[in-house]
Amino acid sequence: MNEELDSQLSAMFDDELAPEQCELLARRLSRDEQLKARWGRYAVIGAAIRSERGVRLNPPLAGRVSAVILDEPALATAHTARRSGVRWWQPLAGAAVAVGVALVSVLWLRAQAPLAGAPLSAHLTAPLATATVPGAAVVPAAAAGAPDSYVVPRAPAVRAPVVPSTELANYVVAHSVFSSPVGRRNLLSAFMTSESGSAAEEPPDEPAVHAQ
Amino acid sequence: MSADASDLSLVRRVQRGDKGAFDALVLKYQHKLVKLVMRYVRNPAEAEDIAQEAFIKAYRALPQFRGDSAFYTWLYRIAINTAKNAVVSRDRSPIEYDLDRNNEESYDMQGRLKDSETPEGLVLTDEIRSTVNAAIDALPEDLRTAIVLRELEGLSYEEIAAAMACPVGTVRSRIFRAREAIDHRLREVFEGGLGRAEELG
Repeated sequence: MNEELDSQLSAMFDDELAPEQCELLARRLSRDEQLKARWGRYAVIGAAIRSERGVRLNPPLAGRVSAVILDEPALATAHTARRSGVRWWQPLAGAAVAVGVALVSVLWLRAQAPLAGAPLSAHLTAPLATATVPGAAVVPAAAAGAPDSYVVPRAPAVRAPVVPSTELANYVVAHSVFSSPVGRRNLLSAFMTSESGSAAEEPPDEPAVHAQ
Repeated sequence: MSADASDLSLVRRVQRGDKGAFDALVLKYQHKLVKLVMRYVRNPAEAEDIAQEAFIKAYRALPQFRGDSAFYTWLYRIAINTAKNAVVSRDRSPIEYDLDRNNEESYDMQGRLKDSETPEGLVLTDEIRSTVNAAIDALPEDLRTAIVLRELEGLSYEEIAAAMACPVGTVRSRIFRAREAIDHRLREVFEGGLGRAEELG
């Protein structure tokens, strides 16, 4: 046995060896049973000096642990297998989420779009002649200062489309890569129409319509 | 000198799939771990079982060990948790314990003694201890002081060098020579002479 090697082993046992030397010696230690036995005896010597109980030259604990670990897969293999197991579904999950978000966005926007043939325009103003609207309900005012009543159309003939806000428009444009080219073109043109239309029909600042 | 470099180099090898490196870690810390677990359980056999479980848990958890703390700190934490869980689960099954106490045979099995606690094991432990002590007594003063300061007081080489007014390299050499002398005596007694280690181990 090389004395310098044993000297290094003693220093390594005490955590007093340079890291680069530790690397080399750890490699040798893990393979050389004689060196490992010496390493184990260093531990026994320390335990005997400290008067610890149950000190033995060949304690069965190390052998039992070694036997259990021998049956286990090596960590590098097990770790790689776990990582590769994770890897295959990660892109699929990402793609599924992206497709889901795009699909929901497109369906929601289509549901908000005007009926076929109708221009995408804003109808933010309430009907002026509410009293004449058939089937309208008149709600009495709750307070003196408050408006007397307002009209709630029961069954509107045409659903008033909601004009998307600028943020929503930006969002849809940003995510339009997920939609089909045809749908994307329709959406963009619809937005352009709605923006110009809504700007033209922006209602003046006037009080809401109230029925007396 | 980075602290824990030795353990870390072994840990990295285990993480790369070298199981032999884990043996070295077990050999190094088994006595300390059993001693630690004995604070929670009185039965040495149970303490050894818990220490074994802690080592196996540590092995399985090593891929998650990043080296932020010292390996032994991490290992000790696992051992303490394992010991606490063992105590809790044992306390939750008093019926089994009572049945075992009523059945003499099964009680013997439950409360079995590990080899180290059998009369022969205790004699062997005493023999090892007395052999080590005799070997230390036979050492030159400078070697004896160095190994005792290291093993009993847990001083670093630098601290020992300061205490003994000598270079760190001299401390390293003295500790190594002290260990070699004690190891030589141990092998002489247990492997060559009495052969009891083979007989009982």
